[in-house]
Amino acid sequence: MTAGALDAEVLVIGSGAGGAPTAAVLAEAGFDVLVLEEGPMVRQGDVVPFSLEQMDRQYRSGGVTAALGFPAIAYTEGCCAGGGTEVNSGLYRRPPENVLARWRRDHGLVDFDFDDLYAICDEIELELSVQTVPGELTAASDALRRGADRLGWANDEIPRWMIYPHGASATDGRRRSMTETYLPRATAAGGRLMTGYRVDRLVLDGRRATRALGRDPDGRAITVDFAHVVVCGGAIQTPALLQRSGLRRHVGTTLAVHPTVKLAARFAEEINVADDVAVHQVSEFAPDLSFGGSASGPGLAALALSDSWSRFGPAIEDWRRLTVYYAAISSEGRGTVRAVRGLRDPLVTYRLTRRDRAMLGRGLARLALLTLEAGATEVYPSYRGAPVVRRRADLATLQGTFALARASVMTVHLCSTVPIGEGPTAPTDSHGLVRGTSNVRVNDASLLPDAPGVNPQGSVMALAVRNARHFVDTIKRAS
Amino acid sequence: MPSTAALPLRDAPDVTVVTGAAGWLGRALVDQLTRPGGRWSRPGRVRALVTSPAEATAMAAIDRVDPVVGDIRRRDGLRALFDGLGDGAVDVIHTAGVIHPTIVDDFTEINARGTLNVVAAARAAGVRRMVHVSSNSPFGTNVDPGDRFRNDEPYAPYFGYGRSKMQAELRVLDAVATGFDAVIVRPPWFYGPFQPPRQTTFFRLVRTGRFPVIGDGRQRRSMVYVDNLVQGIVLAELCGQPAGSAWWIADAAPYAVDEIVATVGRALRDEGFAVKPNTLRLPAAIGRLAERADAIIQRTGRYVQQVHVLGEMDKTIACDISAARLDLGYAPDVELEEGMRRSIRWCIEQGLEL
Amino acid sequence: MPTFPPHGLIAEFSDKVVAHDLPELPPERRAEVVAFIGRRVAGLPSPMRIGVGVVSVVVGGAGRLVGTSRLVRGVTGRPLPGVGDYVRLVRSLSYAYVWDAWPDTAATGRPLGRQS
Repeated sequence: MTAGALDAEVLVIGSGAGGAPTAAVLAEAGFDVLVLEEGPMVRQGDVVPFSLEQMDRQYRSGGVTAALGFPAIAYTEGCCAGGGTEVNSGLYRRPPENVLARWRRDHGLVDFDFDDLYAICDEIELELSVQTVPGELTAASDALRRGADRLGWANDEIPRWMIYPHGASATDGRRRSMTETYLPRATAAGGRLMTGYRVDRLVLDGRRATRALGRDPDGRAITVDFAHVVVCGGAIQTPALLQRSGLRRHVGTTLAVHPTVKLAARFAEEINVADDVAVHQVSEFAPDLSFGGSASGPGLAALALSDSWSRFGPAIEDWRRLTVYYAAISSEGRGTVRAVRGLRDPLVTYRLTRRDRAMLGRGLARLALLTLEAGATEVYPSYRGAPVVRRRADLATLQGTFALARASVMTVHLCSTVPIGEGPTAPTDSHGLVRGTSNVRVNDASLLPDAPGVNPQGSVMALAVRNARHFVDTIKRAS
Repeated sequence: MPSTAALPLRDAPDVTVVTGAAGWLGRALVDQLTRPGGRWSRPGRVRALVTSPAEATAMAAIDRVDPVVGDIRRRDGLRALFDGLGDGAVDVIHTAGVIHPTIVDDFTEINARGTLNVVAAARAAGVRRMVHVSSNSPFGTNVDPGDRFRNDEPYAPYFGYGRSKMQAELRVLDAVATGFDAVIVRPPWFYGPFQPPRQTTFFRLVRTGRFPVIGDGRQRRSMVYVDNLVQGIVLAELCGQPAGSAWWIADAAPYAVDEIVATVGRALRDEGFAVKPNTLRLPAAIGRLAERADAIIQRTGRYVQQVHVLGEMDKTIACDISAARLDLGYAPDVELEEGMRRSIRWCIEQGLEL
Repeated sequence: MPTFPPHGLIAEFSDKVVAHDLPELPPERRAEVVAFIGRRVAGLPSPMRIGVGVVSVVVGGAGRLVGTSRLVRGVTGRPLPGVGDYVRLVRSLSYAYVWDAWPDTAATGRPLGRQS
């Protein structure tokens, strides 16, 4: 054995919404668990949420990542202990029952009982203290609610994994992210968490994976020998890792995202909150279309104005009265993740359909109408050549000039690259065991059969706990 | 008064001014307002704007109707219409408009400028309320067959007609902002008695099995039977809802295009016609091609009805009427099959060839 | 030895784009922005890094011919595939950085005194 040789009964690769619950369930069941996390450990409160510094430290590639296509879709991935749960807005949604029903029906899922899943959701919600904001809402959230109410559009406050000190306001919450919940549980039960360790590929001997090859924080080669491995690197890294390990069949060919377009809205009163996001979402057009608030600090507000800077730019001087909202769609399109020999990172592509493009344009217009109703004095849609929207008549100009090729399209919800299912094209079984292997499992957002139309991490965690328990039962029964 | 209205309605005015009175909707409306014992019959007189002496003669035969020949494209073309209305309450129902003109300029002249002129004249005459009949076209088409237009939507005008109807709405809302009392009703594609020849063509295409269904036929269309529309207009006129309000007025739910063709075929068969099975299915790309051609043609100032209609055929245009139900007590009571049957009978009575 | 992606070319191009977009941004701030862009480009996922590298060489070559400042005036705001994405990347990073680091800055890059 060299210094770079590690071993574990179960190797969990990744420590986010999938990996952390997996590690906790397995460690608490008595397994010897090693969690390798590529990113660093950053404690809650060490960096300002939604700042560039946070992007530097806790996002992959500083948050500058894109799925290539026409247009390219910018996306972000957490890359730190706790993964995306550390850096996102913490908005929690149970998987809707109609989504679960669709998944079970269309993908022939077995042992997929809704009551069981919702019982797991209950546990997760308790563990993460999922709750609504105490006291006053932020002005940006309230504006979204007000605009939707005036139009008679359904909207609600989305609870978050946050705890609030007694008497605290909306922005005083502390995230109950993975580093505060499931990761400490895993280590308390004897699991090991090592950060800064990247796994490049698995070594297979027939149907059995025996070893992982990777790098330590100083870039030196490491090996990890294991009896079982659970890959939880997220919807981009997981399929790439499997492909580099020779597991390519139907892997990485069905990337699903919620594409979003955005606008900046200027109000008469100060509305900007740099370090928090709106907690309301508009569900009137769900699941096709939903609206919510984006991180809106001055840097991100400038970014939202940048497509038409010569006309929109001057508004940045009034950034305290600006906030950014998004329109997200359920997309018919799909994307791919492909590991390329010799390259460290995979090539990611995404293709939007004609209907997706039209839906994004209509979504942006409906969102602009909502912000006008909420009292915005000027609305700046994020695409090149956009009009400043001040009145309803300007919405016709918006819809007449919108072209997705000129828009800034982005997403934060990536999933479905290694989906569960019992059909011939499902790369894993109903519990995430990779087909053609006896001990390689996936347990993260890659498993979702498609994009759920709501914030997906609640679904990711619920599936992760379900699958991890099934794994425990399977192994215990066999021994 | 009607049993449908959940809200107290005001008394009908002493004079009801109807523009476009000799048009499809105008005729149906005047008929309902004056028919003895009818549900929407009202005691006052109806001042009916028509475009020709021949139309005036025909309208004059109807009891309590005073036809006036005029032209909404010019201010002075409305002088006689609003002259000598007396001291009683006057409401205006503005149904005049053009949907399939020969040149695109007519859209602006009639729909936009015409509406502005009617608003100005009505305002000068001190009318109680104006009901402006708009359209789905200021809002374009739904981007997905499952999508429904909510009562409030961002404008996305569909070509020349849509732009002109949007301009008309905006002029009406501008007037409301400065104290004028007007409300808007937005009907989609309507059907029913008093239909113009193009609708006869529609029946003929269905009867001969040649109605062009584009794509999978699952695209949806809201439609409104004219009497349902009349109900919506009268409720909008007499309800206490604030000026500036607007409502979709349509049948209870949108229909799939396949369903429309099948239902009309069944109604024709029930009325004794031999109906061939509909076989004309065109690829979805035809609709997009026609839409592009329509755009190009309209840019040159011309208008070709067939191309325009074909370009719309693959689209979903579907609205949600729950706001009208809630605010107005609107309750559409005729559905597609019954409405189509009544239209067919009307055509037969008129001696029209189907 | 030349590096890939070519940091020098990217820095030169970024400098000109920022100078074009934010003409009143003080030079020392501009240098900080350009350094930030360089760091982010170096950290891009490999396929994107290669793409940016190739485009930066093409744009750099064109810049040698017509002058980088003139080139920037020419390519900004034009929907050129690849080149457009490159400009957009540089621009997004620069705006995000400037207003994250110095929120009270005019649209031209001029520092503003916050009035309370």
